Amino acid sequence: MHRVSKLSFPSRPALLLLAPLAIALLAACTPDNNQSTFGTAGPIARDQADLFIFIFWIAAVVFVLVEGAVIYIAIRYRRRSDSDKLPYQTHGNNKLEITWTIIPILILAAVAVPTLTGIWEQQNGVPQDQGEVLNVEAIGHQWWFEFRYPGQEVVTANELRIPVGRPVALKLTSQDVIHSFWVPKIAGKVDMVPLNDNFMWILGDEVGTFYGQCAEFCGLAHAMMRFRVVVQSEEDFQAWIDGMHTAADPPVAGSREAAGQTLFAQNCASCHTVDSTAPGSYAREINSQEARWNGWISDIENAAIVSAPNLTNFGTRSTLGAGLRDLNQQSLEEWIIDPSSIKIGTRMQKHAAMYNTPDGTANLSSSEISDIATYLLSLKPGSGAAGVVIEQSEGDVDGAALFATNCSACHSTGADKIVGPGMAGIGDIAGSRVAGLDADQYLEQSLRDPGAFIVDGYPPVMPGWSQLSDESIDTLVTYLKTLK
Amino acid sequence: MTTKSLTFPRLFPRPKADTGIWSWIGTVDHKRIGTLYGITAFIWFIVGGIEALLLRVQLARPENDFLDPEAFNQLFTMHGTTMVFLVVMPLSAAFFNWLIPLQIGARDVAFPRLNAFSFWVFLLGSLLLNVSWITGDAPNGGWFGYAPNSSTTFNPGIGMTYWVVGLNILGVASIAAGLNFIVTILNMRAPGMTMFKLPIFTWMTLITSVLIVLAMPVLAVAGIQLLSDRVYGTYFFDSLGGGDPVLWQNIFWLFGHPEVYILILPAMGIVSEVLPTFARKPLFGYPFVVFAGAAIAFMGWFVWAHHMFTVGLGPAANSAFAISTMLIAVPTGVKIFNWLGTLWRGNIRLNTPMLFSISFIAMFTIGGLSGVMHASPPTDAQQQDTYFVVAHFHYVLVGGALLGIFSGIYFWWPKFTGWFLNEKLGLTNWALMLIGFNFTFGPMHWLGMDGMPRRIYTYAEDMGWETSNLFSTIGSMLLGLGILVFIINVFYSKMNKKMASADPWDGRTLEWSVPSPPPPHDFDEIPQVKYRDDFWFKKHPETIAQYYHDEHDDQDQAVPSGAQFDGDDEAVAVPAVAENKSNGHGHGGIHLPDMSYYPFVLSVGITIFGAGFLTNTYVIAAGVPFFLWGLLGWSMEPVNDPE
Repeated sequence: MHRVSKLSFPSRPALLLLAPLAIALLAACTPDNNQSTFGTAGPIARDQADLFIFIFWIAAVVFVLVEGAVIYIAIRYRRRSDSDKLPYQTHGNNKLEITWTIIPILILAAVAVPTLTGIWEQQNGVPQDQGEVLNVEAIGHQWWFEFRYPGQEVVTANELRIPVGRPVALKLTSQDVIHSFWVPKIAGKVDMVPLNDNFMWILGDEVGTFYGQCAEFCGLAHAMMRFRVVVQSEEDFQAWIDGMHTAADPPVAGSREAAGQTLFAQNCASCHTVDSTAPGSYAREINSQEARWNGWISDIENAAIVSAPNLTNFGTRSTLGAGLRDLNQQSLEEWIIDPSSIKIGTRMQKHAAMYNTPDGTANLSSSEISDIATYLLSLKPGSGAAGVVIEQSEGDVDGAALFATNCSACHSTGADKIVGPGMAGIGDIAGSRVAGLDADQYLEQSLRDPGAFIVDGYPPVMPGWSQLSDESIDTLVTYLKTLK
Repeated sequence: MTTKSLTFPRLFPRPKADTGIWSWIGTVDHKRIGTLYGITAFIWFIVGGIEALLLRVQLARPENDFLDPEAFNQLFTMHGTTMVFLVVMPLSAAFFNWLIPLQIGARDVAFPRLNAFSFWVFLLGSLLLNVSWITGDAPNGGWFGYAPNSSTTFNPGIGMTYWVVGLNILGVASIAAGLNFIVTILNMRAPGMTMFKLPIFTWMTLITSVLIVLAMPVLAVAGIQLLSDRVYGTYFFDSLGGGDPVLWQNIFWLFGHPEVYILILPAMGIVSEVLPTFARKPLFGYPFVVFAGAAIAFMGWFVWAHHMFTVGLGPAANSAFAISTMLIAVPTGVKIFNWLGTLWRGNIRLNTPMLFSISFIAMFTIGGLSGVMHASPPTDAQQQDTYFVVAHFHYVLVGGALLGIFSGIYFWWPKFTGWFLNEKLGLTNWALMLIGFNFTFGPMHWLGMDGMPRRIYTYAEDMGWETSNLFSTIGSMLLGLGILVFIINVFYSKMNKKMASADPWDGRTLEWSVPSPPPPHDFDEIPQVKYRDDFWFKKHPETIAQYYHDEHDDQDQAVPSGAQFDGDDEAVAVPAVAENKSNGHGHGGIHLPDMSYYPFVLSVGITIFGAGFLTNTYVIAAGVPFFLWGLLGWSMEPVNDPE
């Protein structure tokens, strides 16, 4: 017979087992942690936490009983000597079997009732009795969040602003892979699935900024896909909405902001919109985002455009790169020089021509980068009235400047293809493109409604340039015809 | 049985030797195949464990750059895939192979060459999967391979193709093994061993095998569709072409949840053998434990969408799957209570296998309770895809499946080898594993409730997660140390052999009635079975009345139930096996199948086919001769060569 080493029940290991439990209990005093599911700031997260705590205590009782029984029985009935005495060879007990089948069923029924009511309260549409519902569309992208307010015609990114105490109906979708929308302190997550719109509602009942993070593995930079939810008073929220319809003041000529604006237009503007303040600009941004996506998807390796966050009133945001850094001049410059140093795998760095350098960093001087950052941080609601189209000051604008600001991100003045065709010789070609339109009419039409005549082989991605005044369009057409 | 058969021309002589490499490649002995499964799976266990430790080092502190994100994603994908398909399933298969014939009083499985084939396909498939590390492009889309992140658009590397090809090849191995054990258990039981006299481990093997045969084809369907999405440009799951990524999730989890029970039921079977042996009492409520196992396996098909509570299936689906998921806790509880009933008033020997089994009950209970927490969709909305879920399933799969498997290793090691594993090292191994395990995965419950998502390669300093993560990393090192002590124990015990008798534990089932290690033919005489735990009651006949006092109908059921009788209804008596012609192996004249290299050849052909999807069609063509050679040679090969 094998000799078993004599051993009272190992009590030290058993005590050590309590250590993780103690750590958990200590840690349980941290509802202030940014993503704690206990420090709730909205009814949904609160109901979810309450249900968890309810189940937790039931589980705790079962845990103590079962683990206590395991330890008690193991010690009480352990072999005390080398006695091989046979215990009574019982085969079982039907009454006990029935008892320990029924009791768990009853306990689970107690869990099932609040579970089912919770499901139907949280997942079956927005409550209509808790104030006017705000509709928001949240779109997941690798690796950032886009937020659209269709009722307010506002589009923004990575910072969702909602009014306190009002239910928000979220339509969740994704443009690429599956993501998940999760703000632990406000509500549990719902996935953002391409081609499968999901709906959830949330309500923040506490003013403040709350951390959110993508919860579904979505590729390389999944860990870096974060966002913030800013719960504001109704007045602050309305002020923000108004601000999003108020154009930034145009930079003073010759200022660093003005230099930054030109550099931005040349290097960044084909993907990032900065001026979605005017009426109609919301619909245009949606079309542009769609066009950027189609541009990327049609040539994943070499596309010159990708979906990108809208940067309207960027200077009012608090974070950079989807909640990764505090937004300031320094962090923004770091980002522009080498986005991957902050968020690995950004499509911007792969596709924007300015990063087409041996080490992948921006091919701009540090003062140019500083100018762009200064310009972006200056993007705040201006002094004009909300909802007004700010015109470029007319008359002294020359065509070359207009082209540089509006077109050069996608079109070269030579024969090179960037996103769209090179413009050399366009004046000669334009007149013969469409029967019945001369060169001037064709070019003007192409600027106002680019979708009308797409040249074979190019993606239908050019946004309409109808925000330009008639004079500006005339100037641009005249300039285009001079390109040889 | 003397059919004249066509013989396929042999390129190599049929292996005959009892030692050397060909004795292993050509073996059809269930015990040798079990050993091959065990050693291979244990090597993958070390690989998967190292992968896990690398992940833990990366997460030990915030903003760590020990691993780059791509490496992190590859490591967690391969850690999960390895532990599920290359470790727990084949370790269970090692026990199936070693024990099922011995427990049911048979001399081998029903299809010995198919059994060898299962192993070789598993080995080559697992190697192919891990070749992806050498190409530098290991799978990186998670062990769940969610679409469309697994599509070529978002995952242009070849890693996910390796993954899907590897899983499809491994599926062939699992299905073949599952069929083999179903047929073996149903047909090759010793005379008198009715279904309700089966050892409980054999019962759980049968239930697991049924699950494998039903669930692996589901994965195969999903895998073939994903493969054609990736290789041929179809759009089953790729949303860019209108495919449905939620369809992938439904199919994957329709496989994935039964898979969970494929992983845990064998360990439950092991524990159900160890507890009665060392409590010196029969398993409490045997029929209830059997039915609970069957109920878990059946209900396991109706709970898959609890992996998808946040996918947006709607409140009706979420309600239905919440209830079905909660219900599955009932039979699981029945098992736990019956194990406690088994220990109650026992004469409990607290040695290494017993401590592993008791720890199984304690740890699995924790995993079960946290499981009930996310069976509730509102609670799950906060827990899904967080470290809470990581904690939950590691309590089930490490605290459950792995502790159970270690219990089985210590329990049956003397039977497998003829010598004991050292008890002191065994206790150290147990204590380190149990403590390390709890330190690793205990704090993860809290991390999840504190909002830490899964599968993030790093986290910011201001999240408050660093202390728990550091504890977890330290715990994982202790857990790794525990495994290291086990490895040391194996070598130490081999060098300081303490020999074991045939029945060192006063065991209950038939494997303890044969020498340790068993002879190639297992049983000199096929045993006659009259009782549940027949071997025990033959040793302790005075206890029969205690056990059977109110199971009147269980008497006089020594009816035959064995394929080895070939339809001879009268053959209650043991057939005179000794009259069979000797096969020249000197096994006392007992008929055993000859060795064969064709299963190996066929599995090489299948693996080359798989490699073809990773390279080009010429490679597929290169697999054809191996495939045909293996298939035809196998089908035309007689079980025993004529003398």
